[in-house]
Amino acid sequence: MATYQLNSSSDLIDNPSPRCACMLVLDTSASMFGQPMRELNAGVQAFISAIKEDDMAACSVELGVITAGGKVTEQLPFTTAMNISQCRHFTASGLTPLGSAMELALDRLEERTAAYRKAGVAYYQPWLVVISDGVPTDQWQAVSARARALAKQRKMVVMPVGVEEADLDALSAFSTRPAKRLDGLKFREFFLWLSASMSRVSASASTTEQIKLPPTDSWDSI
Amino acid sequence: MALRGRMVTDSLGKVRRLGKRLERGGEGEIFALQDRQDVIVKWYYPEVLKKRGDELHRKVEAMRELRDAQMTRDVCWPLIRVFDDQHRWIGFAMYRAQGVKMGFLAHALLYQRYFPGLDRSRVVGYLIRFIEIVQQLHRAGVCIGDYNLNNVFCMPSTQQVTLIDCDSYQLRVGGTFYPCPVGSPDMTPKEHQGVAFRNIVRTSQSEAFSLAIVLFKCLMLGRHPYDIVGGDDPVRNLRRGNFAYGEGGRDVPEGAWYDLWRELPEGIRDMFVTTFTSGANVPRHRATLPQWHAALTEYRQQLESGECSRRLIGPGSSKKSQVLHAR
Repeated sequence: MATYQLNSSSDLIDNPSPRCACMLVLDTSASMFGQPMRELNAGVQAFISAIKEDDMAACSVELGVITAGGKVTEQLPFTTAMNISQCRHFTASGLTPLGSAMELALDRLEERTAAYRKAGVAYYQPWLVVISDGVPTDQWQAVSARARALAKQRKMVVMPVGVEEADLDALSAFSTRPAKRLDGLKFREFFLWLSASMSRVSASASTTEQIKLPPTDSWDSI
Repeated sequence: MALRGRMVTDSLGKVRRLGKRLERGGEGEIFALQDRQDVIVKWYYPEVLKKRGDELHRKVEAMRELRDAQMTRDVCWPLIRVFDDQHRWIGFAMYRAQGVKMGFLAHALLYQRYFPGLDRSRVVGYLIRFIEIVQQLHRAGVCIGDYNLNNVFCMPSTQQVTLIDCDSYQLRVGGTFYPCPVGSPDMTPKEHQGVAFRNIVRTSQSEAFSLAIVLFKCLMLGRHPYDIVGGDDPVRNLRRGNFAYGEGGRDVPEGAWYDLWRELPEGIRDMFVTTFTSGANVPRHRATLPQWHAALTEYRQQLESGECSRRLIGPGSSKKSQVLHAR
Protein backbone atom coordinates (compact mmCIF):
# COMPACT_ATOMS: atom_id res chain seq x y z
CA MET A 1 0.00 0.00 0.00
CA ALA A 2 1.09 3.58 0.49
CA THR A 3 4.81 3.25 0.63
CA TYR A 4 6.24 6.38 -0.87
CA GLN A 5 8.80 8.38 0.92
CA LEU A 6 7.88 11.82 -0.30
CA ASN A 7 10.37 14.42 -1.37
CA SER A 8 11.91 16.03 1.61
CA SER A 9 12.35 19.77 1.52
CA SER A 10 16.08 19.23 1.01
CA ASP A 11 15.74 17.14 -2.12
CA LEU A 12 16.17 20.03 -4.53
CA ILE A 13 19.04 21.31 -2.39
CA ASP A 14 21.25 18.28 -1.86
CA ASN A 15 20.88 16.37 -5.11
CA PRO A 16 22.77 18.09 -7.96
CA SER A 17 21.37 15.93 -10.80
CA PRO A 18 19.41 17.66 -13.52
CA ARG A 19 15.86 16.39 -13.20
CA CYS A 20 13.63 14.56 -15.60
CA ALA A 21 10.04 14.82 -14.39
CA CYS A 22 7.91 11.94 -15.63
CA MET A 23 4.18 12.07 -14.99
CA LEU A 24 2.07 8.99 -15.62
CA VAL A 25 -1.63 9.56 -16.23
CA LEU A 26 -3.25 6.15 -16.04
CA ASP A 27 -6.76 5.16 -17.04
CA THR A 28 -7.98 2.98 -14.16
CA SER A 29 -11.64 2.96 -15.20
CA ALA A 30 -13.83 -0.14 -14.85
CA SER A 31 -12.94 -1.37 -18.33
CA MET A 32 -9.37 -1.96 -17.13
CA PHE A 33 -10.63 -4.49 -14.56
CA GLY A 34 -8.88 -7.85 -14.40
CA GLN A 35 -5.87 -8.78 -16.47
CA PRO A 36 -5.23 -5.27 -17.92
CA MET A 37 -5.10 -3.77 -14.42
CA ARG A 38 -2.81 -6.52 -13.16
CA GLU A 39 -0.46 -6.03 -16.09
CA LEU A 40 -0.52 -2.24 -15.65
CA ASN A 41 0.36 -2.57 -11.96
CA ALA A 42 3.16 -5.00 -12.75
CA GLY A 43 4.44 -2.67 -15.46
CA VAL A 44 4.61 0.36 -13.15
CA GLN A 45 6.41 -1.78 -10.57
CA ALA A 46 8.92 -2.97 -13.18
CA PHE A 47 9.45 0.64 -14.27
CA ILE A 48 10.32 1.81 -10.78
CA SER A 49 12.62 -1.17 -10.19
CA ALA A 50 14.44 -0.64 -13.49
CA ILE A 51 14.96 3.07 -12.84
CA LYS A 52 16.28 2.36 -9.36
CA GLU A 53 18.84 -0.08 -10.77
CA ASP A 54 20.43 2.84 -12.63
CA ASP A 55 21.87 5.15 -9.97
CA MET A 56 22.16 8.12 -12.29
CA ALA A 57 18.54 7.77 -13.43
CA ALA A 58 17.36 7.15 -9.85
CA CYS A 59 18.80 10.55 -8.85
CA SER A 60 17.41 12.27 -11.91
CA VAL A 61 13.94 10.89 -12.63
CA GLU A 62 11.08 12.29 -10.61
CA LEU A 63 7.96 10.21 -10.95
CA GLY A 64 4.38 11.38 -10.48
CA VAL A 65 1.26 9.25 -10.92
CA ILE A 66 -2.33 10.37 -11.44
CA THR A 67 -5.15 7.90 -12.02
CA ALA A 68 -8.47 8.44 -13.75
CA GLY A 69 -10.91 5.78 -12.56
CA GLY A 70 -14.28 7.12 -11.42
CA LYS A 71 -12.47 10.12 -9.99
CA VAL A 72 -9.09 11.76 -10.44
CA THR A 73 -6.55 10.74 -7.80
CA GLU A 74 -3.04 12.00 -7.35
CA GLN A 75 -1.48 8.69 -6.34
CA LEU A 76 2.06 10.00 -6.16
CA PRO A 77 3.22 13.60 -6.07
CA PHE A 78 6.54 14.09 -7.89
CA THR A 79 9.12 12.01 -6.04
CA THR A 80 12.71 11.29 -6.98
CA ALA A 81 12.94 7.63 -7.96
CA MET A 82 15.66 6.95 -5.38
CA ASN A 83 13.14 7.87 -2.67
CA ILE A 84 10.37 5.55 -3.84
CA SER A 85 10.51 2.33 -1.88
CA GLN A 86 7.57 0.45 -3.34
CA CYS A 87 4.60 1.12 -5.58
CA ARG A 88 0.96 1.29 -4.61
CA HIS A 89 -1.33 -1.04 -6.59
CA PHE A 90 -4.18 0.63 -8.41
CA THR A 91 -7.68 -0.76 -8.74
CA ALA A 92 -10.14 -0.33 -11.61
CA SER A 93 -13.50 1.37 -11.20
CA GLY A 94 -15.89 3.92 -12.70
CA LEU A 95 -15.68 6.14 -15.76
CA THR A 96 -12.63 7.78 -17.36
CA PRO A 97 -12.22 11.45 -16.36
CA LEU A 98 -9.05 11.71 -18.44
CA GLY A 99 -9.55 15.40 -19.25
CA SER A 100 -9.48 16.40 -15.57
CA ALA A 101 -6.58 14.03 -14.92
CA MET A 102 -4.55 15.65 -17.69
CA GLU A 103 -5.43 19.11 -16.40
CA LEU A 104 -4.09 18.19 -12.98
CA ALA A 105 -1.00 16.57 -14.54
CA LEU A 106 -0.17 19.72 -16.53
CA ASP A 107 -0.65 21.89 -13.43
CA ARG A 108 1.65 19.65 -11.40
CA LEU A 109 4.30 19.64 -14.12
CA GLU A 110 4.25 23.42 -14.35
CA GLU A 111 4.51 23.74 -10.57
CA ARG A 112 7.42 21.32 -10.50
CA THR A 113 9.42 23.01 -13.24
CA ALA A 114 8.83 26.35 -11.49
CA ALA A 115 10.27 24.78 -8.31
CA TYR A 116 13.33 23.59 -10.27
CA ARG A 117 13.96 27.10 -11.59
CA LYS A 118 13.51 28.63 -8.16
CA ALA A 119 16.03 26.18 -6.68
CA GLY A 120 18.54 26.53 -9.52
CA VAL A 121 18.11 22.88 -10.53
CA ALA A 122 18.58 22.16 -14.23
CA TYR A 123 16.01 19.94 -15.88
CA TYR A 124 15.42 17.95 -19.02
CA GLN A 125 12.21 18.26 -20.97
CA PRO A 126 9.54 16.73 -18.69
CA TRP A 127 7.59 13.71 -19.91
CA LEU A 128 3.85 13.19 -19.66
CA VAL A 129 2.76 9.63 -20.44
CA VAL A 130 -0.97 9.00 -20.78
CA ILE A 131 -2.29 5.45 -21.05
CA SER A 132 -5.94 4.65 -21.76
CA ASP A 133 -8.05 1.82 -23.10
CA GLY A 134 -11.06 3.91 -24.07
CA VAL A 135 -12.22 7.49 -24.57
CA PRO A 136 -12.27 10.30 -22.03
CA THR A 137 -15.73 10.56 -20.46
CA ASP A 138 -15.35 14.21 -19.42
CA GLN A 139 -14.36 17.45 -21.17
CA TRP A 140 -10.94 16.96 -22.69
CA GLN A 141 -10.70 19.16 -25.81
CA ALA A 142 -9.39 22.28 -24.04
CA VAL A 143 -6.77 20.43 -22.03
CA SER A 144 -5.68 18.48 -25.09
CA ALA A 145 -4.99 21.80 -26.84
CA ARG A 146 -2.98 22.94 -23.80
CA ALA A 147 -0.91 19.74 -23.77
CA ARG A 148 -0.38 19.86 -27.51
CA ALA A 149 0.78 23.49 -27.35
CA LEU A 150 3.35 22.63 -24.66
CA ALA A 151 4.58 19.69 -26.76
CA LYS A 152 4.82 21.93 -29.81
CA GLN A 153 6.89 24.48 -27.87
CA ARG A 154 9.13 21.56 -26.81
CA LYS A 155 8.42 22.33 -23.18
CA MET A 156 7.21 18.78 -22.64
CA VAL A 157 7.24 15.35 -24.25
CA VAL A 158 3.65 14.07 -24.34
CA MET A 159 3.39 10.36 -25.08
CA PRO A 160 -0.12 8.94 -25.53
CA VAL A 161 -0.47 5.17 -25.50
CA GLY A 162 -3.67 3.33 -26.36
CA VAL A 163 -4.57 -0.09 -25.00
CA GLU A 164 -6.86 -2.53 -26.82
CA GLU A 165 -9.90 -0.59 -28.11
CA ALA A 166 -8.64 2.87 -27.15
CA ASP A 167 -9.64 5.87 -29.26
CA LEU A 168 -6.23 6.73 -30.72
CA ASP A 169 -7.56 9.87 -32.41
CA ALA A 170 -8.64 11.35 -29.07
CA LEU A 171 -5.35 10.36 -27.42
CA SER A 172 -3.34 11.77 -30.33
CA ALA A 173 -4.99 15.15 -29.80
CA PHE A 174 -2.93 15.54 -26.59
CA SER A 175 0.39 15.51 -28.40
CA THR A 176 2.29 16.46 -31.51
CA ARG A 177 3.24 12.80 -31.87
CA PRO A 178 0.56 10.25 -32.81
CA ALA A 179 -0.62 7.90 -30.09
CA LYS A 180 0.90 4.44 -30.22
CA ARG A 181 -1.11 1.31 -29.64
CA LEU A 182 0.20 -1.16 -27.10
CA ASP A 183 0.63 -4.62 -28.56
CA GLY A 184 -1.80 -6.69 -26.48
CA LEU A 185 -1.09 -6.09 -22.82
CA LYS A 186 2.66 -5.56 -23.10
CA PHE A 187 2.73 -3.05 -20.27
CA ARG A 188 5.91 -4.52 -18.90
CA GLU A 189 7.70 -4.12 -22.23
CA PHE A 190 6.40 -0.56 -22.51
CA PHE A 191 7.59 0.42 -19.05
CA LEU A 192 10.99 -1.18 -19.58
CA TRP A 193 11.28 0.89 -22.76
CA LEU A 194 10.26 3.96 -20.75
CA SER A 195 12.93 3.27 -18.12
CA ALA A 196 15.55 2.76 -20.86
CA SER A 197 14.48 6.11 -22.34
CA MET A 198 14.73 7.78 -18.92
CA SER A 199 18.19 6.26 -18.42
CA ARG A 200 19.28 7.63 -21.77
CA VAL A 201 17.92 11.09 -20.95
CA SER A 202 19.51 11.21 -17.50
CA ALA A 203 22.89 10.06 -18.87
CA SER A 204 22.91 12.93 -21.33
CA ALA A 205 25.16 15.88 -20.67
CA SER A 206 22.67 18.08 -22.45
CA THR A 207 19.54 19.45 -20.80
CA THR A 208 18.42 21.23 -23.95
CA GLU A 209 18.93 18.82 -26.85
CA GLN A 210 16.52 16.12 -28.02
CA ILE A 211 17.71 12.62 -27.10
CA LYS A 212 17.52 9.73 -29.54
CA LEU A 213 15.23 7.19 -27.89
CA PRO A 214 15.39 3.40 -28.09
CA PRO A 215 13.17 1.68 -30.70
CA THR A 216 9.59 0.97 -29.60
CA ASP A 217 9.22 -2.32 -31.46
CA SER A 218 9.16 -4.37 -28.25
CA TRP A 219 5.73 -3.04 -27.29
CA ASP A 220 3.90 -1.11 -30.01
CA SER A 221 1.71 -2.45 -32.78
CA ILE A 222 0.41 -1.05 -36.05
CA MET B 1 19.62 -7.56 -32.78
CA ALA B 2 23.20 -8.26 -31.81
CA LEU B 3 23.71 -11.73 -30.41
CA ARG B 4 26.38 -13.24 -28.26
CA GLY B 5 28.79 -15.44 -30.06
CA ARG B 6 28.87 -13.35 -33.24
CA MET B 7 32.10 -13.60 -35.15
CA VAL B 8 34.23 -10.80 -36.47
CA THR B 9 37.56 -10.81 -38.25
CA ASP B 10 40.55 -8.53 -37.98
CA SER B 11 42.48 -7.13 -40.94
CA LEU B 12 44.65 -10.26 -41.07
CA GLY B 13 41.53 -12.38 -41.41
CA LYS B 14 41.81 -13.83 -37.94
CA VAL B 15 38.38 -14.80 -36.65
CA ARG B 16 37.34 -13.59 -33.20
CA ARG B 17 34.22 -14.42 -31.26
CA LEU B 18 32.38 -11.58 -29.56
CA GLY B 19 31.33 -11.93 -25.96
CA LYS B 20 28.80 -9.98 -23.95
CA ARG B 21 27.34 -6.73 -25.20
CA LEU B 22 28.54 -4.09 -22.76
CA GLU B 23 26.89 -0.89 -23.98
CA ARG B 24 24.39 0.37 -26.52
CA GLY B 25 25.36 3.86 -27.55
CA GLY B 26 23.97 6.35 -30.01
CA GLU B 27 26.08 5.10 -32.93
CA GLY B 28 26.84 1.52 -32.15
CA GLU B 29 27.32 -1.23 -29.62
CA ILE B 30 30.32 -2.20 -27.56
CA PHE B 31 31.14 -5.89 -27.19
CA ALA B 32 33.67 -7.76 -25.14
CA LEU B 33 35.94 -10.17 -26.97
CA GLN B 34 35.39 -13.66 -25.71
CA ASP B 35 39.05 -14.60 -25.31
CA ARG B 36 40.55 -11.21 -24.45
CA GLN B 37 39.10 -9.50 -21.38
CA ASP B 38 41.17 -6.38 -21.95
CA VAL B 39 39.94 -5.74 -25.51
CA ILE B 40 36.52 -4.51 -26.66
CA VAL B 41 34.96 -3.99 -30.08
CA LYS B 42 32.85 -1.08 -31.24
CA TRP B 43 30.37 -2.24 -33.87
CA TYR B 44 28.52 0.61 -35.56
CA TYR B 45 24.80 0.15 -36.20
CA PRO B 46 23.93 -0.89 -39.79
CA GLU B 47 22.00 2.36 -40.37
CA VAL B 48 25.01 4.42 -39.21
CA LEU B 49 27.34 2.43 -41.49
CA LYS B 50 24.92 2.88 -44.36
CA LYS B 51 24.65 6.61 -43.86
CA ARG B 52 28.26 7.53 -43.12
CA GLY B 53 30.28 4.35 -42.94
CA ASP B 54 32.90 5.62 -45.41
CA GLU B 55 33.39 8.83 -43.45
CA LEU B 56 33.71 6.91 -40.17
CA HIS B 57 36.10 4.42 -41.69
CA ARG B 58 38.36 7.19 -43.02
CA LYS B 59 38.37 8.95 -39.66
CA VAL B 60 39.15 5.79 -37.69
CA GLU B 61 41.97 4.98 -40.11
CA ALA B 62 43.36 8.50 -39.60
CA MET B 63 43.19 7.94 -35.85
CA ARG B 64 45.08 4.68 -36.15
CA GLU B 65 47.85 6.58 -37.96
CA LEU B 66 48.14 8.96 -35.02
CA ARG B 67 48.40 6.43 -32.25
CA ASP B 68 51.37 6.16 -30.01
CA ALA B 69 52.08 3.84 -27.15
CA GLN B 70 51.33 6.42 -24.46
CA MET B 71 48.08 7.56 -26.01
CA THR B 72 46.65 4.07 -26.37
CA ARG B 73 47.12 3.47 -22.65
CA ASP B 74 45.31 6.60 -21.50
CA VAL B 75 42.69 6.79 -24.23
CA CYS B 76 40.65 3.92 -25.70
CA TRP B 77 42.08 4.59 -29.13
CA PRO B 78 41.09 2.59 -32.24
CA LEU B 79 43.77 -0.06 -32.64
CA ILE B 80 42.52 -2.82 -34.93
CA ARG B 81 40.10 -2.74 -37.85
CA VAL B 82 37.16 -5.10 -37.49
CA PHE B 83 35.11 -6.69 -40.28
CA ASP B 84 31.94 -8.79 -40.36
CA ASP B 85 31.61 -12.23 -41.92
CA GLN B 86 31.08 -10.57 -45.33
CA HIS B 87 34.44 -8.78 -44.93
CA ARG B 88 32.73 -5.39 -44.59
CA TRP B 89 34.28 -2.88 -42.19
CA ILE B 90 32.01 -2.55 -39.16
CA GLY B 91 34.15 -0.88 -36.50
CA PHE B 92 37.30 -1.27 -34.50
CA ALA B 93 38.88 -2.91 -31.49
CA MET B 94 40.43 -1.01 -28.59
CA TYR B 95 41.61 -1.56 -25.05
CA ARG B 96 38.92 -1.65 -22.41
CA ALA B 97 38.85 1.20 -19.87
CA GLN B 98 38.99 0.26 -16.21
CA GLY B 99 37.29 2.15 -13.44
CA VAL B 100 34.16 4.17 -12.75
CA LYS B 101 32.62 7.01 -14.74
CA MET B 102 33.67 10.44 -13.54
CA GLY B 103 29.95 11.31 -13.42
CA PHE B 104 29.71 9.20 -10.25
CA LEU B 105 32.59 11.08 -8.68
CA ALA B 106 30.99 14.42 -9.51
CA HIS B 107 27.82 13.66 -7.59
CA ALA B 108 27.17 14.67 -4.00
CA LEU B 109 24.86 11.72 -3.34
CA LEU B 110 26.74 9.00 -5.20
CA TYR B 111 30.48 9.56 -4.84
CA GLN B 112 30.80 7.73 -1.53
CA ARG B 113 29.23 4.60 -2.99
CA TYR B 114 31.53 4.50 -6.01
CA PHE B 115 34.65 6.12 -4.53
CA PRO B 116 34.78 5.09 -0.87
CA GLY B 117 36.87 7.45 1.22
CA LEU B 118 37.14 10.02 -1.56
CA ASP B 119 38.68 13.28 -0.43
CA ARG B 120 39.73 16.51 -2.11
CA SER B 121 43.26 15.29 -2.65
CA ARG B 122 42.07 12.34 -4.71
CA VAL B 123 39.61 14.46 -6.69
CA VAL B 124 42.39 16.89 -7.52
CA GLY B 125 44.69 13.99 -8.43
CA TYR B 126 42.17 12.67 -10.99
CA LEU B 127 41.73 16.15 -12.43
CA ILE B 128 45.48 16.70 -12.81
CA ARG B 129 45.76 13.39 -14.62
CA PHE B 130 42.77 14.28 -16.82
CA ILE B 131 44.38 17.59 -17.81
CA GLU B 132 47.64 15.80 -18.63
CA ILE B 133 45.84 13.41 -20.97
CA VAL B 134 44.01 16.27 -22.70
CA GLN B 135 47.32 18.13 -23.09
CA GLN B 136 48.84 15.01 -24.60
CA LEU B 137 45.97 14.86 -27.11
CA HIS B 138 46.34 18.56 -27.90
CA ARG B 139 50.03 18.07 -28.64
CA ALA B 140 48.97 15.46 -31.23
CA GLY B 141 46.55 17.98 -32.77
CA VAL B 142 43.49 16.26 -31.28
CA CYS B 143 40.64 18.08 -29.51
CA ILE B 144 38.04 16.27 -27.41
CA GLY B 145 35.18 18.55 -28.44
CA ASP B 146 32.41 16.56 -26.78
CA TYR B 147 33.29 16.85 -23.08
CA ASN B 148 31.19 14.44 -21.05
CA LEU B 149 31.92 13.16 -17.56
CA ASN B 150 30.57 9.75 -18.52
CA ASN B 151 33.38 9.37 -21.05
CA VAL B 152 36.09 9.67 -18.41
CA PHE B 153 36.86 6.62 -16.27
CA CYS B 154 38.65 6.88 -12.93
CA MET B 155 40.05 3.95 -10.97
CA PRO B 156 38.79 4.23 -7.38
CA SER B 157 41.87 2.46 -6.00
CA THR B 158 44.49 4.45 -7.92
CA GLN B 159 44.81 7.82 -9.67
CA GLN B 160 44.45 6.20 -13.10
CA VAL B 161 42.23 8.03 -15.62
CA THR B 162 41.17 6.70 -19.03
CA LEU B 163 39.14 8.40 -21.73
CA ILE B 164 36.58 6.52 -23.82
CA ASP B 165 34.40 7.22 -26.87
CA CYS B 166 37.24 8.90 -28.71
CA ASP B 167 36.09 8.26 -32.27
CA SER B 168 34.18 11.55 -32.02
CA TYR B 169 37.34 13.59 -31.34
CA GLN B 170 38.40 16.38 -33.70
CA LEU B 171 41.67 15.75 -35.49
CA ARG B 172 43.75 16.87 -38.42
CA VAL B 173 45.85 14.26 -40.19
CA GLY B 174 47.78 14.76 -43.42
CA GLY B 175 45.98 18.00 -44.22
CA THR B 176 42.53 16.47 -43.73
CA PHE B 177 40.28 17.87 -41.03
CA TYR B 178 37.96 15.53 -39.17
CA PRO B 179 35.43 17.44 -37.05
CA CYS B 180 33.90 16.36 -33.78
CA PRO B 181 30.29 15.98 -34.95
CA VAL B 182 28.70 15.69 -31.50
CA GLY B 183 28.54 17.66 -28.28
CA SER B 184 26.20 19.11 -25.73
CA PRO B 185 25.25 22.78 -25.38
CA ASP B 186 25.67 22.58 -21.58
CA MET B 187 29.41 21.98 -22.07
CA THR B 188 29.99 24.19 -25.14
CA PRO B 189 31.37 27.74 -25.05
CA LYS B 190 29.30 30.66 -26.20
CA GLU B 191 31.13 31.19 -29.52
CA HIS B 192 30.10 27.68 -30.60
CA GLN B 193 26.51 27.76 -29.36
CA GLY B 194 23.87 27.50 -32.07
CA VAL B 195 26.32 26.08 -34.64
CA ALA B 196 25.96 22.51 -35.88
CA PHE B 197 28.65 20.55 -34.04
CA ARG B 198 30.09 19.11 -37.23
CA ASN B 199 30.73 22.66 -38.50
CA ILE B 200 32.66 23.77 -35.43
CA VAL B 201 36.44 24.04 -35.37
CA ARG B 202 37.41 23.44 -31.76
CA THR B 203 40.31 25.50 -30.44
CA SER B 204 42.53 25.39 -27.36
CA GLN B 205 40.35 28.16 -25.90
CA SER B 206 37.06 26.37 -26.54
CA GLU B 207 38.61 23.23 -25.05
CA ALA B 208 39.73 25.21 -22.00
CA PHE B 209 36.18 26.41 -21.41
CA SER B 210 34.64 22.92 -21.58
CA LEU B 211 37.43 21.47 -19.48
CA ALA B 212 36.82 24.14 -16.83
CA ILE B 213 33.20 22.95 -16.59
CA VAL B 214 34.45 19.39 -15.95
CA LEU B 215 36.82 20.67 -13.25
CA PHE B 216 34.08 22.73 -11.64
CA LYS B 217 31.60 19.85 -11.62
CA CYS B 218 34.12 17.52 -9.96
CA LEU B 219 35.29 20.01 -7.34
CA MET B 220 31.68 21.03 -6.67
CA LEU B 221 30.35 17.44 -6.53
CA GLY B 222 28.03 17.71 -9.50
CA ARG B 223 26.92 21.32 -9.62
CA HIS B 224 27.07 22.90 -13.06
CA PRO B 225 28.73 26.34 -12.94
CA TYR B 226 25.66 27.89 -14.54
CA ASP B 227 23.04 26.42 -12.17
CA ILE B 228 21.54 29.60 -10.75
CA VAL B 229 18.71 30.16 -8.29
CA GLY B 230 15.70 31.72 -10.01
CA GLY B 231 17.58 31.88 -13.27
CA ASP B 232 17.26 30.33 -16.67
CA ASP B 233 18.56 27.00 -17.83
CA PRO B 234 22.35 26.47 -17.70
CA VAL B 235 22.76 27.07 -21.43
CA ARG B 236 21.08 30.51 -21.35
CA ASN B 237 23.11 31.43 -18.27
CA LEU B 238 26.26 30.25 -20.04
CA ARG B 239 25.52 32.42 -23.07
CA ARG B 240 25.15 35.44 -20.78
CA GLY B 241 28.13 34.62 -18.58
CA ASN B 242 25.81 34.50 -15.55
CA PHE B 243 28.04 32.75 -13.04
CA ALA B 244 26.62 32.92 -9.52
CA TYR B 245 29.75 32.23 -7.49
CA GLY B 246 32.36 34.86 -6.90
CA GLU B 247 32.01 37.96 -4.80
CA GLY B 248 28.88 37.86 -2.64
CA GLY B 249 27.76 34.54 -4.06
CA ARG B 250 24.29 35.82 -4.89
CA ASP B 251 22.00 33.31 -6.60
CA VAL B 252 24.12 30.32 -5.61
CA PRO B 253 21.81 27.33 -5.05
CA GLU B 254 20.94 26.71 -1.42
CA GLY B 255 22.80 24.03 0.55
CA ALA B 256 26.44 23.08 0.96
CA TRP B 257 27.44 24.42 -2.45
CA TYR B 258 28.81 27.77 -1.37
CA ASP B 259 30.79 26.08 1.39
CA LEU B 260 32.31 23.72 -1.16
CA TRP B 261 33.21 26.75 -3.26
CA ARG B 262 34.70 28.64 -0.32
CA GLU B 263 36.95 25.68 0.48
CA LEU B 264 38.76 26.12 -2.83
CA PRO B 265 41.95 28.18 -2.83
CA GLU B 266 41.46 31.78 -3.87
CA GLY B 267 43.60 31.36 -6.98
CA ILE B 268 41.43 28.54 -8.30
CA ARG B 269 38.24 30.43 -7.47
CA ASP B 270 39.57 33.44 -9.40
CA MET B 271 40.33 31.27 -12.41
CA PHE B 272 36.76 29.92 -12.40
CA VAL B 273 35.27 33.39 -11.98
CA THR B 274 37.29 34.80 -14.87
CA THR B 275 36.66 31.82 -17.14
CA PHE B 276 32.91 31.75 -16.50
CA THR B 277 32.23 35.51 -16.51
CA SER B 278 34.41 37.58 -18.86
CA GLY B 279 35.83 34.37 -20.33
CA ALA B 280 32.35 33.34 -21.45
CA ASN B 281 32.46 36.21 -23.95
CA VAL B 282 36.19 36.64 -24.49
CA PRO B 283 37.94 33.30 -25.13
CA ARG B 284 41.43 34.68 -24.40
CA HIS B 285 40.36 35.52 -20.83
CA ARG B 286 39.89 31.83 -20.03
CA ALA B 287 42.40 30.01 -17.86
CA THR B 288 44.57 27.78 -20.02
CA LEU B 289 45.30 24.11 -19.48
CA PRO B 290 48.87 24.76 -18.23
CA GLN B 291 47.45 27.32 -15.77
CA TRP B 292 44.88 24.80 -14.49
CA HIS B 293 47.55 22.16 -14.21
CA ALA B 294 49.85 24.43 -12.23
CA ALA B 295 47.07 25.66 -9.92
CA LEU B 296 45.78 22.17 -9.18
CA THR B 297 49.28 20.82 -8.62
CA GLU B 298 49.87 23.56 -6.06
CA TYR B 299 46.49 22.82 -4.48
CA ARG B 300 47.36 19.14 -4.20
CA GLN B 301 50.57 20.07 -2.38
CA GLN B 302 48.56 22.25 0.02
CA LEU B 303 46.12 19.40 0.62
CA GLU B 304 48.89 16.92 1.26
CA SER B 305 50.78 19.23 3.60
CA GLY B 306 47.61 19.87 5.61
CA GLU B 307 47.50 23.53 4.66
CA CYS B 308 44.05 22.96 3.12
CA SER B 309 41.35 20.60 4.34
CA ARG B 310 41.04 17.35 2.40
CA ARG B 311 37.50 16.77 3.64
CA LEU B 312 34.65 16.97 1.16
CA ILE B 313 31.61 18.69 2.63
CA GLY B 314 28.60 16.50 1.99
CA PRO B 315 25.06 17.58 1.18
CA GLY B 316 22.87 18.72 4.02
CA SER B 317 25.90 19.51 6.14
CA SER B 318 25.61 23.26 6.06
CA LYS B 319 22.72 25.03 7.69
CA LYS B 320 24.82 28.14 7.91
CA SER B 321 25.11 28.57 4.18
CA GLN B 322 21.36 28.20 3.78
CA VAL B 323 20.93 31.27 5.94
CA LEU B 324 23.75 33.17 4.30
CA HIS B 325 22.51 32.66 0.80
CA ALA B 326 18.76 32.77 1.17
CA ARG B 327 17.49 35.50 -1.14
